Amino acid sequence: MEGVSYQRFPKIKVREVKDDFMKFELRDTDASIANALRRIMIAEVPTIAIDLVEIEVNSSVLNDEFISHRLGLVPLTSERAMSMRFSRDCDACDGDGQCEYCSVEFYLRVKCLSDQTLDVTSKDLLSSDHTVVPVDYSDASSSFDNTPNKGIIIVKLRRGQELRLRAIARKGIGKDHAKWSPAATVTFMYEPEIYINEDMMESLTLEEKTELVESSPTKVFGIDPENKQVTGKCMIVGNPSAPPGIPLCGSRWPNMIWDYASGEIPCLFFEKVIVVDPEAYTYDDEVLKKAEAMGKPGVVEIHAKEDSFIFTVETTGAVKASQLVLNAIEVLKQKLDAVRLSDDTVEADDQFGELGAHMRGG
Amino acid sequence: MNAPDRYERFVVPEGVKKVSYERDTKIMNAATFTVEREDHTIGNIVRMQLHRDDNVLFAGYKLPHPLQYKILLRIQTTSQSSPMQAYNQAINDLDKELDHLKSQFEGELAKHTRDY
Ligand SMILES: [Zn+2]
Repeated sequence: MEGVSYQRFPKIKVREVKDDFMKFELRDTDASIANALRRIMIAEVPTIAIDLVEIEVNSSVLNDEFISHRLGLVPLTSERAMSMRFSRDCDACDGDGQCEYCSVEFYLRVKCLSDQTLDVTSKDLLSSDHTVVPVDYSDASSSFDNTPNKGIIIVKLRRGQELRLRAIARKGIGKDHAKWSPAATVTFMYEPEIYINEDMMESLTLEEKTELVESSPTKVFGIDPENKQVTGKCMIVGNPSAPPGIPLCGSRWPNMIWDYASGEIPCLFFEKVIVVDPEAYTYDDEVLKKAEAMGKPGVVEIHAKEDSFIFTVETTGAVKASQLVLNAIEVLKQKLDAVRLSDDTVEADDQFGELGAHMRGG
Repeated sequence: MNAPDRYERFVVPEGVKKVSYERDTKIMNAATFTVEREDHTIGNIVRMQLHRDDNVLFAGYKLPHPLQYKILLRIQTTSQSSPMQAYNQAINDLDKELDHLKSQFEGELAKHTRDY
C-alpha cells in the first residue's frame, strides 16, 4: 500500500557566509518548512552552556546566584554538542551529569591583589576540554573599538576580593533555557514581487513620480539615473499631428511636452521609476496607499511570492551560522523520525479494524 | 516552588506513547493522532504536507493548551487511502525533502566557501 509521493525539491542559494552570519534564499517549498527551520534554529539546536556551579569562595559584590546566572549565559564553542549526550539520558554517569560524554568541567580561580580593579572575564574560565571553551570574539572586525578583547566580563573585584568556583557545562536546547540557544537572530521574509505598470506610470508628472518613490519608508523605488535629465535633442522622426516642419520625438510616451519653438525637447517625462531594492520592502503598503490617493491604483502592484524565502541567520558564536542551518535540518529529521508510528500502534489498529469490520458485518 | 520542570516541555514521560492513534467512531477514514511533546514546528509541517495529498480530505492540527505539551492531528481521507497511510506518507515525503535540502545546502556552501 505504498502511496504516491508528494515530495518537493526545494532549492537553496547562498548569498553571504561569514562565521557568525549568513544569508540565503530558500525556494520551492512553503512557509511551514521555512518556519520550522527558523523555530528549530532558535529553540532546538543543542549547544553547551554552564548549568551547575559550585562556589568555593565568593567575596565579590555579586551574590552566588547572580554569578552563576552570568556564567550560564556565556556562549561556549559547541561543535561537539550534536554528538554529545543530554545528561538526563546519559547512562555512563547515571544521569548525574558529570561524565565526559555529557558534561565539561570548568574552573575559575581569581583574586585581586592590587589597587587596580580586576575584571573577571570569560577568559578566566579554564576548561577541561579544549574543544569547549568560551567563544573568542577578539577577531570580530569591529573597527569602532580598538581595545584588546578581554572576553565577557563576569564580575569586577577590588583589592582582597576573590572568586573561586567549579562549573559544569552541559548540552541543552533553547526550549529549556535561552542560554542554550545558538541563535542571535533568525529571520525569513517572503520575497516580494514588484510590478510597475509602465504605461500608467508615464501618465504621472515628475513631481508625482518623486512623491510616489518617496512615499515608501524604505528605499524600494528610485528614479532611474540612466534616464534622468535627458535634456538634449530628442530622436526626431516626424510627427503627423505637429505643425508642419516640426519634428516628433521618438519616445513612446504620447503626452510629452514638446517645446516646438526651440526644436529642443526637454524630456520632462523621461524619468523612469524603477525598483531599486525589492527586498527593502517591508510590506507596509505605503506606496499602494499613495498610488490610490493619487488616483492611480494599480500603478504599482506588490505580491509576496509564497514559495520563496530570504533567510538571515546570526549566531552567538557557539556554532557557525552555516553549521546552525545544517544542524537544524538534522534536528528536524530526528524529530520527524520520532513521530513515526510505532509498530504496536499500527498493530493495535489492525486488530481494531478487524474487530470493527466484524462488528459491522454483524 | 511548585513550578514544573522545564524539561517536561520536551521529554516524553515514562510510560507515555510518543504518538497515539484514535479512529473516529462516526466518520469513515478519519482519525486523530496525539503527538506528545511536540508543537507547531511538527504540527504545521505535517499538516501542510498532508494538504498536498490528493486523498486527504481534511488535515488539521491543534495545540490544545500551551501548558499541555502535545498536539492533536486530525486526518480524514478518501477510501483510496487511510489516515495512517497518509500520515506515514507525509512523514516520508518530508524526510526526503529534508535530505534533498541538506544536500542542496551543502553543495551551495561548498561553492561559496571555494569562491572566498
Ligand atoms: Zn554522563
